[in-house]
Amino acid sequence: MRSPFVLPVITTFFLLAVLAHLGFFDWARLSRGFRNLGILGADMVPPDLGILPVASAALWETVEMSFAGTLLGFLASLPLSILGTRRLFSTWVSSLARFIAAGIRTIPVLLWAIVFVILVGLGPLAGTLGIAAYTVGYLAKIYADLFEGTDPEIMEAVQSTGASKLQLVRFVVIPEAANAVLAQVLFMLEYNIRASSILGFVGAGGLGFVIQIYLQSLDYRRLATVLLLVLVIVLLMDGISAWLRNRFLLSAHTA
Amino acid sequence: MTDSGSAPAALHAERVWFSFRNHDWVLRDISLVIPAGKHTVIMGPSGIGKTTLLRVLAGLLKPNQGQVRVFGHPTEELKPRELSALVGYIPQQLGLVRNLCALENVLMGALGRLADSRALLGLFPRDEIEKARAALEMMGIGHKNSEQVFRLSGGERQRVAIARTLLQHPRIVVADEFASDLDLALASEILTRIRRAAEQEQITFIMSMHRMGLARQFGDAVLALKNGELVPGFIGNEILETLSIEPSL
Repeated sequence: MRSPFVLPVITTFFLLAVLAHLGFFDWARLSRGFRNLGILGADMVPPDLGILPVASAALWETVEMSFAGTLLGFLASLPLSILGTRRLFSTWVSSLARFIAAGIRTIPVLLWAIVFVILVGLGPLAGTLGIAAYTVGYLAKIYADLFEGTDPEIMEAVQSTGASKLQLVRFVVIPEAANAVLAQVLFMLEYNIRASSILGFVGAGGLGFVIQIYLQSLDYRRLATVLLLVLVIVLLMDGISAWLRNRFLLSAHTA
Repeated sequence: MTDSGSAPAALHAERVWFSFRNHDWVLRDISLVIPAGKHTVIMGPSGIGKTTLLRVLAGLLKPNQGQVRVFGHPTEELKPRELSALVGYIPQQLGLVRNLCALENVLMGALGRLADSRALLGLFPRDEIEKARAALEMMGIGHKNSEQVFRLSGGERQRVAIARTLLQHPRIVVADEFASDLDLALASEILTRIRRAAEQEQITFIMSMHRMGLARQFGDAVLALKNGELVPGFIGNEILETLSIEPSL
C-alpha cells in the first residue's frame, strides 16, 4: 500500500491548493505587479545621497541597538537555559524555566518593541529592550536543548571527581557547548540587525523611523539610499561573523 | 577462599545484584574482595556487563541488592565528595572536556576539594596547578599542558585522563577498557607508567580489558565476567592467581 509517491503527491496537491487560495494563480494581478515593480525601480534611481548624514545617524542607532540588545539577551539567556536543563535540575524547575522562555518567544520582536515603547517611552532604549527580550526567549530554548545534549559520560566522569553542580556547568556543560553557543549568538546578532531596522516603525528608534517616513511620502529615491545602507551593514555583519566563525569555530571541527 | 589476610580490603562487593529493567539481571550475586594495592583486571566479551559492574563498584550505580564497601564504607552511605576522595572513575571514552586544554582537564581532578567561589572563576590554587603539571609530567605528556584535548592523539588523551584521576588522589581507580584502542607498544608503555604511579601513590586499580597480553602484564589478578557472574580468569590454558570469589560470606 505504501508507495514512495504517496507523500510527494499529497504534498504537491496541498501546496497547489494553498497557493491557489492565496491568489497565486491570478495572472492578471501578478503581471500588474511586475509592471509596478518596474515603475518602483525606476522611481528609485538615482538614489538621493543627500540624506546620507541623517540616515547614517539612524543606522548607527540601529547597530547600537542590535549589539546591546543581543548581548543583554545573551547574558540573561544563560542562567535561564541552565535552569531549563533537565539533566541538572528537577523536572519542576526546568519545566518552569522552559515555560518562561516559551512565553517570551511567543511574542514577536515588533510586539516586544511596542510593549517597551509603552513602558519606557519612544526611542532606542525601547528597541534595545525589545531585542533583548526576544533574544532571551530564543537563545534560552536553543541553549537548554544544547546543554541537555552534553555527553553523559563526560558529566559522570567529572561528577565523580566530586565536582558541584555549578562546577559542572562551568567546566563541562558550557565548554562542551562553546562552539554552538557562539554560533547561535552570531546568528542572533545578524537576525537582530535586520529586525531592528524596522523597529522604528513603532517608534522604538533606529532606521525604521526613517524608512517609514520615506515610504509614506512616496520618496523612493531617498528610500533607496536607506535600503542600500541596510544592505551594506548586513553584508558587513556577514563578513564579521564569518571571520569570527573561522577564527573560533572551524578549528574545533578539524579534530 | 579469602586471601586478603591481614591487609585491609580496598573494595568489598557482597552479593551484588543489578538490573536496569525488572529482573533482567546484568549482575547476578557477585561477591569479590580486592585487597589494597592489588591491581585487578576484569575481562569478558563486549556487551556482557563489564561497564555496569565497574560503575557499580565505583559507586556510580546503586545495586538492587547487596552492597559495595570501599575501605569499609558502604558506597551508598557516602556523600559524593567523600566517595570522590576514595574512588576515581575513568569511563571508556575517558570523559575529557574537548574544548579545554590538558592542564585544565587535569585540574578538574581537584574540584572535589575546592570551594565554588574561586574555582568557578578558573582560579586554581598554585599548589594544585603544580601538582597537575607534575601528574602530566609523570604520564610523559608534560610538554602538551596547554594543548586543547581535541587536538591530542588517542594515547595522549589516555595520559591526560589518568593524570586527572591522579590529581583527584583517590585510593581506588576504576577504569573502563583502558588503553583498549591503542597499539600494543603504546598501551604497554602507558600501563607501565600507571603501575609506577600506582605504587608511588598507593592506589589500587580495577580495570576492564579485552586483550589478554595486557591483562597479564598489568593485573595481579584477572577475573572474567560470564552470564552476569564472575569466574576466575584464564589466559591461554593457564589459570591466573585469582582473587577470592565468595559465593556467600
